[in-house]
Amino acid sequence: MALASVLRAELAEFSPNFPKNFPKNFPKNFPEDFPDDSEGIPEILRDPPGPPRVLAAPPWGFEAEPEGPGLQILHGTTTLAFKTPHGVTVAVDSRATAGSYIASQSVRKVLPISGRMLGTMAGGAADCAFWQRLVARQCRVQELRNKEPVSVAAASKLLANLVYQYKGLGLSLGTMLCGWDKRGPGLYYVDSEGQRVAGAAFAVGSGSSYAYGVLDRGLAAAARSEEAACELARRAIAQAAHRDAYSGGCVRVMHVGPDGWREVSHHDIAELQDKYLE
Amino acid sequence: MSILACNGGAVLAMRGRGCVAIAADRRFGIQAQTVSTDCQRIFPMGQRLLLGLAGLATDVQSVAQRLKFRLNLYELKEGRQIKPQTFMSMVSNLLYERRFGPYYAEPVIAGLDPVSLEPFICSLDLIGCPMVTQDFVLSGTCSEQMYGMCESLWEPDMEPEHLFETISQAMLNAVDRDAISGMGVVVHVIEKDKITTRTLKARMD
Repeated sequence: MALASVLRAELAEFSPNFPKNFPKNFPKNFPEDFPDDSEGIPEILRDPPGPPRVLAAPPWGFEAEPEGPGLQILHGTTTLAFKTPHGVTVAVDSRATAGSYIASQSVRKVLPISGRMLGTMAGGAADCAFWQRLVARQCRVQELRNKEPVSVAAASKLLANLVYQYKGLGLSLGTMLCGWDKRGPGLYYVDSEGQRVAGAAFAVGSGSSYAYGVLDRGLAAAARSEEAACELARRAIAQAAHRDAYSGGCVRVMHVGPDGWREVSHHDIAELQDKYLE
Repeated sequence: MSILACNGGAVLAMRGRGCVAIAADRRFGIQAQTVSTDCQRIFPMGQRLLLGLAGLATDVQSVAQRLKFRLNLYELKEGRQIKPQTFMSMVSNLLYERRFGPYYAEPVIAGLDPVSLEPFICSLDLIGCPMVTQDFVLSGTCSEQMYGMCESLWEPDMEPEHLFETISQAMLNAVDRDAISGMGVVVHVIEKDKITTRTLKARMD
């Protein structure tokens, strides 16, 4: 049910088969009696027969996660974002590795969700690209329906709920949603484990520890101006790219303000070496 | 992770006309973390003989030190400089002694014969199988990338300056496609009367 409805680009509540006079007409034996709206979907894409999967995980949690090492190393990247009174400053590196082979030094790790919101990419590139594009579509539909830009909290909730349905199945996503809405700057960290956390500053990826070191030192000073904030973000990524083998390439700094997002700068790490590294 | 890919690193040697060049990267790291950018992978073993080692950092140091010890004894007993071919056999022997618990280091030798000044390069695997070639030898975590660069750039009978440019470009571009090598490159060019050592400015990410 979940996969079919996603592929038909409709969530349950937007489907024409959704029970009229909800919630009075809500099926007594949910989820078994929920109307099946998968006609027109090819056989191979339909969900397997039987009662549809429950949308939320059981309260005792899934046992799908294998008993491996506790910490799951996020795939090679460094992305960071932090809030200032002027908006949200976002900075990412651009390296993609396959094992120790550098597959690309020019990956775009920032995905626009709307005119006023950006999402960063860490983890599986395909997962991030697909689900964030889906959320971008949902945000646009919501904007058209409500005649109001969607809030960062709502967009991040949409994304978190979408990926939570696939918890334990191997999605890999560690993304930050950064935007400006009627409540001011908004920053949420959402990942494929189901975490959704609001905060003032995040760094995500294998180089995040190095980025935090530089970031935490300069956050107070960065609140002074947009220029100082972008400089701090650029420096943090450059330092992480230096220390972490799996981060590097270029630094892309973006800023989300009340007028929307814009790209502030795009530098190759080799250019910044002399400035930031000995 | 493979033991040879724990610390990362790369070594490359090329043969020219009357000269040889050997280059190595400078990164010392532990898995993803870069610990220092001034690691020594090329060790002097004679007046015109250099040994480069790639692999596990501790074994790189141990092999270089034990080899220097054996080489010193050789020079005292023989009263002369060792020939590169003989040195290759010495390295092979040292590595095969540990056949069933090997040193995780893959050496590359570059030098000129002390008498005839004939250029010589060779490499060995971690249990001492020697391979002598007439063009280039290499070892390290980005070996495939280095093979690609060398096959395209190498040509026979290069003069020392041309050889330096070629080996530098091959090394720089190969390590830029490897996450666990790089952070600078050091190049030694051995000619009959001097050894020129240069450190290249490279990407530090």
